Formats: sequence, structure tokens, C-alpha cells
Amino acid sequence: MNVLLKKYFQIFKTSFNQEFAYRLSFVMWRVRNVLQVLVALFLWDTIFSGDRNELFGYDRNKILTYVLGLVFVKAFVLSARSQDVAGEIARGEIINNLLKPVDYFKYWLTRDVSSKVLNLVFAVGEFFLLYLIFKPPFYFQENIFQIFLFSVSICLAIFIYFSILFIVNTIPFWAPELAWGGHFLITVIMVEFLSGIFFPLDILPDKFLNILNFTPFPYLIFFPLQIYLGKISGFSAIKGIFVCVSWVLILLFLMKFVWQKGLKVYQVYGR
Amino acid sequence: MRASVNNTVVVNGLVKNFEVTEKEPGFLGGMKSLVSPQKKTVQALKSISFNVESGELIGFIGPNGAGKTTTLKILSGLLYPTSGFVQVLGFEPWRRDQKFLKQISLVMGQKNQLWWDLPARDTFELNKAIYEIPDTEYRENLSELVKILEVEDLLGTQVRRLSLGQRMRMELIAALLHKPKVLFLDEPTIGLDVLAQQKIRDFIYDYNKKYSATIILTSHNMDDLIDLARRVIIINKGKILFDGKLEDIISKFAKDKIIRVYLDKSVDVKRFSEIGEIRKYNFPLVVISVPREVSAVAAAELLQNFPVRDLTIEEEPVEDIIRRVFKEDYIK
Amino acid sequence: MEDKDISSKIKFQNNWNKLKLWLVGNFYFPIKIQIMAKFMKRLAYYLAIWFKMSRNSFLVIFSRKSVLFVFLAGKIIRFVFQVLLIFFLVNGSKTLAGYDSNQTLFFFLTFVAIDSTSQFLFREVYRFRNYVVTGDFDLILVKPFNSLFRILLGGADAVDLITLPFFYLSLFYVGSLLSPSSLDVLLFILLIVVGLLISTAFHIFVISFGIITLEVDHVSMIYRDVTNMGRFPVDIYKEPVKSFLTFFIPVAIMVTLPAKALMGRVSFILVIISLIISALFLFISLKFWNFALKKYTSASS
Repeated sequence: MNVLLKKYFQIFKTSFNQEFAYRLSFVMWRVRNVLQVLVALFLWDTIFSGDRNELFGYDRNKILTYVLGLVFVKAFVLSARSQDVAGEIARGEIINNLLKPVDYFKYWLTRDVSSKVLNLVFAVGEFFLLYLIFKPPFYFQENIFQIFLFSVSICLAIFIYFSILFIVNTIPFWAPELAWGGHFLITVIMVEFLSGIFFPLDILPDKFLNILNFTPFPYLIFFPLQIYLGKISGFSAIKGIFVCVSWVLILLFLMKFVWQKGLKVYQVYGR
Repeated sequence: MRASVNNTVVVNGLVKNFEVTEKEPGFLGGMKSLVSPQKKTVQALKSISFNVESGELIGFIGPNGAGKTTTLKILSGLLYPTSGFVQVLGFEPWRRDQKFLKQISLVMGQKNQLWWDLPARDTFELNKAIYEIPDTEYRENLSELVKILEVEDLLGTQVRRLSLGQRMRMELIAALLHKPKVLFLDEPTIGLDVLAQQKIRDFIYDYNKKYSATIILTSHNMDDLIDLARRVIIINKGKILFDGKLEDIISKFAKDKIIRVYLDKSVDVKRFSEIGEIRKYNFPLVVISVPREVSAVAAAELLQNFPVRDLTIEEEPVEDIIRRVFKEDYIK
Repeated sequence: MEDKDISSKIKFQNNWNKLKLWLVGNFYFPIKIQIMAKFMKRLAYYLAIWFKMSRNSFLVIFSRKSVLFVFLAGKIIRFVFQVLLIFFLVNGSKTLAGYDSNQTLFFFLTFVAIDSTSQFLFREVYRFRNYVVTGDFDLILVKPFNSLFRILLGGADAVDLITLPFFYLSLFYVGSLLSPSSLDVLLFILLIVVGLLISTAFHIFVISFGIITLEVDHVSMIYRDVTNMGRFPVDIYKEPVKSFLTFFIPVAIMVTLPAKALMGRVSFILVIISLIISALFLFISLKFWNFALKKYTSASS
């Protein structure tokens, strides 16, 4: 058991070092994150200026908390290294890792966790920076149960995102030229818009929202933040968690299935 | 009396086919291939068989596309065979059993396992954890390998700053830290300068002698095999053309070197036949072959006594040797 | 005796003037025309080469139709999503900094038009880092073709080109909903040109940085993020961000101003000022490029 822990800790450490080696690149990445949040803060502040009290079910406190909370939730859920797998498959480098006595998925999950930790460290700093500059009214959730559900939803969101990433990663098995294209279309664009990064999804009319709720995307960012803000609570929150769990199971199963198929095809075509 | 050893590698009737979709050029062709793809079957390996004993160092040689890398990939577990029997260390490689993986290593000349932006040392520590190498063993292996390969000062340098030769040495260390029983090397000297090639070869030879690790390497560079492998398998177009002692091939087939001469002035061609066998004459180019041992002397003589503008000494290309082996229909 | 001197001086002046007039008539204007003709020829040369380079760039993308399709779909989907989100947002809030939903959408569409046109023209800038790293940039410098032109305009993006008519049509449609006067439209078009000039200047700055340091990727990404702030009218930002976006990285002039012009909120003087600022910006960027080039060519690889 000890050896196993050591194994994954070393993977964690090495991945951390690797990301850190590109310090400037990483800092720029965080700056860009902050800029995005900044725009959203200004936007909503402007909308709520004057004597507007409530919009789409949010008051000024809650909406600014939503935006600021994005900094954390994004760092938790969306920081990942495993989208590199697509490139590894396209370039044939995957053979090196396939032959290591380590479970391929667990390897990349560990690397993702390492990335999340690094991003979180910065997110904390950025959060305080933005808070000090803007002094937005931050809504502190006090209900312990909600906080607990919030943490659970984040953990589940991590697994949902991981499996989505890996399913998209398998595209190069069939079409190596689409290694980046696949991630662009699904991981970047779909996730960006449908998970609630720019706007809370409540601004959409009910018809759209209902359709969206049949996809896993809202459960990445929007759903956890809703729980935190207390906009989904009690029974409906627990119901939502169950839907989350089912998505995790479905997607993980799909991921393993597609991966096996992909490996077979990879071998058949002899890349 | 030699005890019969369990064969480390057993290959019997191995067949591997690849499916390739043929795309027609042009827009319509692209559309057609989307709807009804034309599949063609490429027979990469056409039923090959061989065994390797523990501690043997064998070399696969053949031109590009001969099937060497495919064989290696099957033996290491990266590819499924289409049919046939393959067993390495008692395992079926493609199951990629963790116990199996811990005993093998694959080094592909072009594809690094080292983490590019970190010092090689970090990759070593990672492998230590992954292969579950105990501390003392790790330190011993590492210091020994580092000493032999002369890379002590480079352990802390980022891999991307290393030269190709230095990188190759680090790759070997990373692959050997866990003392694999079987080492697969695919084109280990490709892209290296002559000096670096020699160093790698010497290392592989010594390692094999010292640790009795079974080493299977592929190359299309003849020198790799001359220096290293006692046993050579010539493979071409998916078939094994020769499996046996290196001396036999060399002494039988590659005993000549080719000398190309560009003349300044016209010369009586017959004079060349005193030096070697004339292969081609097309003024100003003369191509002759001479026995390997005297190639330097012959070249010197040519330079002295003939109006030579340019002269090169070349190996007889491997493809030519193999072509000749093939033509003579050599049976094992 | 003085009279004689003066009169001869006057006579000399007259003759000199006559000579000058004769010279100007016979040589100066023809030379001017010659210079004009030369300029036209040069322009035609560069235009022809731009066509060739763009054609090559297009062929590359068309050789991989799956990639083309995926990126095209992605860009269009992204556009549709953004429009929908803005529409729903302002529909619900009724106003954003005093603008109604059509106006807010128009700000966004102006941004998209200028941004996509820039990406279409200047896609090669994003490949620039590779050229410097691999040493291919030296090969570019050696050719008898302006290297700045090559780097800036050498890789026109086919995917963006396909999306451009779509974006411009949306722009004109929503614009028409705002019932602008012809003067408004004229000023709008003028300011769009100004916006493109500023964008050009930006890209020149980016690649000049790319020669000096290898961190051009970061610079270009930061540029993209800052200009993306122009998706919404700059009015929503508070000081000092607003001033930053107006004077330092003039996103306000580049994107917000043209849209405001169409809504009739921009005076003619402001247009002139923007023109001057953009010309200045362009001028400075060209000087910077020359500076960077000198630095590069005086150092070894």
C-alpha cells in the first residue's frame, strides 16, 4: 500500500514540477483567467447598478459571489493536464506510458490533481486580490449541509470532466489530425458555454435550460455554485447529486469502453 | 554440460496484418472515402518464427518497412498479433500484465520517455516509484549506470538542453534502472554521430555481458550489428531471410566495401581491375568493390596513382546484401 | 550703378523662375507620375503575392477537410452561443449601461467583425514563434520580399474567411435595426477602417516582441484577452480600466467607437482624432518593428 502511495505521490510531484517549469506560461494563464473574471464582475456590476434589486433570481450579492466563486470552482474542476493525451496519441508517444506498470487512467488523474493543486494555490491569491480591489459583497454560505453538498458536487464534477476529457482524447485513435480540433470543439467551446462559466445558466429561458439539464455540462460549474449560493437546497439538491452520480457512472463506463475500442483500432492501423 | 534454458522469447508462426484505408485524391475522393472507405490489408509479418534464449543479444536487421519495429512492438505488448504464438518471459505480451511490464523495457530511438522540461533525474525518480525499485537498489543502479555512461554532470540539466547523444544515454538509464530481464531497443543509434553511436554500442554490449539481460535490438545500420550482435535475424517484407551467426553473413555476404571514384582525366579502365572488382564505369565515375580489410589501402593507392577528383568509401548497402541473400534463397 | 545691379538681379530672378517653371512642367510632374506608376506596380506585386500565399494557406486547410469542418463548426457554434447569451442577458435586464439589447448585440457584432477580419488576415502571426525557434525566420529575411508583410499577411485563414460573410451579414442586419443615418453609416465604416489599422499596429507590436523575446505566444494571448474585453461597450468598465482601454490599449477606439458612431453618438472631431491616433499607433509600431529587426540581425541565431 505504501509503495502504491509513493508511486502516485511521485507522479504528482513530477507533474507539478513540469507545470512549474513553465512558470511564465503558467502565470500568463492565470492572468488570463483573472481577466475573464474581471470582465464578468464589471458586467454584472453594471447591470446591477442603479436600483435594480433582482434579476434572473439573483441579487447583487449572489451574482457577484457567483462570479468570484468561479475562480475557485474553475480551478478545482477544470484544471487538468489530461487533454495532452490526445496529442500523445497523435504523435505516437503514448507507447511509453502504455508499457509502464501503472494504470493509465489513474496516472493521468493523479497528474490532473497535481494541476488542480497548483491552480488552487494561485486561485486563492487571485480571489483575495480581486476581493480587496473590488470589495464585492460576498455571500458566505452558512448552512453546513449545503457546504457538504457543495464539496460532494465538486468531487463529482471533477470525475465528470475527467471522463469527458478522456472520451475526447480518444478521437485521435481514429483521426490523429483532429487531436486538437476535438478538444477545441468539445472541451473548449461546449464546456465554456454550457457549464455556466460566462453567465449563470438561469439567464436562459426554461426551454433551453431543460434541454441543457439532460447533458452533463451544467453539473461541472453551474450546479455546484447553485448549491453554494443556496439556490438549490435540500431535497432538490440531493436529487441533483444523484443525477451527478449517474452521469459519473455513465461517463466513466463510456470512457473505458471507447478507450478499449480506440486501442484496438490503433493497433489495427499500426500507428 | 549446458543445461537447457527456458526460452525467454518464443515466437511461432507470427502473422500481423494492418488495415490501411486508401484515400483517393481530390474532393470527391475524400467524400468517397468518408462514405465507403477502401480498405487494404498490409501483411507486415508473414508467419515468422524464432526463439531467444535468456541472456542472448540478437539484432533484427532489415530495410524500412521490413517488419522489425512491428515485431518489437508485438514482443513488448503494444500490438496484438493477427495470429500465431508469442510468449515473452512466460507471458502473453499484449495482456500487459503489470508483472510482465516490470521485467521489460522498450527504448525507441525517436520517442523519448524522458520529461522534456525537467532534469533527467526527475524522470529517474518517477520511474523508481513506478517500478517500485527499493532505495538502495535504485541508488546502486543509478550511480553505476551514470558512471558508465559518463553523464554525472548532466543529471540536473533539463532534458531539452541535452544533445541527442546525451539524451539517448539518459533514455537508456531510465530504461535500465529497474534491471529489466528483457530490453527492446528500436533504432537506438539513429541520428547520432559516429562517436556517440560507438559509445552506445559499447554500453549495450557490456550491459548484456554483465547482467545477462536478453537484448533484442533493431537497426538498419550495419555497424550496430557488427559490433553487437552475435546472432542476427535478417527480415525483409515480413519474412525472416536469415537467422544465424553474424560471422556467417559477414564472411559470406558483406565482405566487400564499395569505393566510388570521380576522375579528373580519362584513364584506362583495366587499371582499376588491379585494385578491385569494377562494378560500374561511367566517366568520370568509377565504382569498384574491394575486400573490407584492404579498403583503406586500396583507397590510398587510388589517390596516389590515379587522377582522382573525389573518392568515397561506402558500405555495401544493407538492402543490397539482403537482396543478394534473398536472391540466393537462403534457407535457415 | 545700384539701379543697374538691382535690375539685373530682378532679371536674373525672373529668368530663374521661368527656368524652374519649365523644369517643373517638363520633369517634376512626369516624375511624380512615374513615382505613382511605380507605386502602383509595387502594390500590384504585393497583392499578387498575397493572393498566392493565401491560396497556399487555403490549400493546406482544405487538404484536411475534417479539421476544416471541426473548426468551422466550432467557430460558428461559439458565435451563436455568444449571441444567444447576450440576447437573453439584455432581454432580461432590459438595459446594459444604457443600451438596449439590439445595441448591445451591435457592439458585440462590431467586435466580432473586426476581430475575425484581423484573424483572417493575420493568422500567420500566431505561427511566428515557430519560425523564429526553428530558424525559418532567417529564410524569410533573406527573400527579396518585405518580411513584415510576409509574417503579417502570409497565412490568411480560410476558416475565418468562410465565417466572415456570415458575421458581416449579421452585423449589417442588426445595424439596420438601429436605423442609422447615412452620415452615421459613413462614420461607422471609417471607424471600422481605423479599428483595423489599430489591430494591424497591435499585431506588428506582437511580432516585434516575438523577435526580441520568445514569449510571443503570451503577448499575443494577452492581446487577445484584452481585446476580448471589447465584446461589451467599454462603458461598463470603471476607471482606471476604462482609461486603460481607451488610451493605452485602445480597444475602445478600435471596437466601441465604430459601434457608437452608427448610433450617432460620435462627433466628427472624435473621428478625426481617432484617425490621427491610429495613424500614430501604426507609425510607432512600424518603428518598433524596424528596431526589433535591427536587434535580431545584429545578434547571432
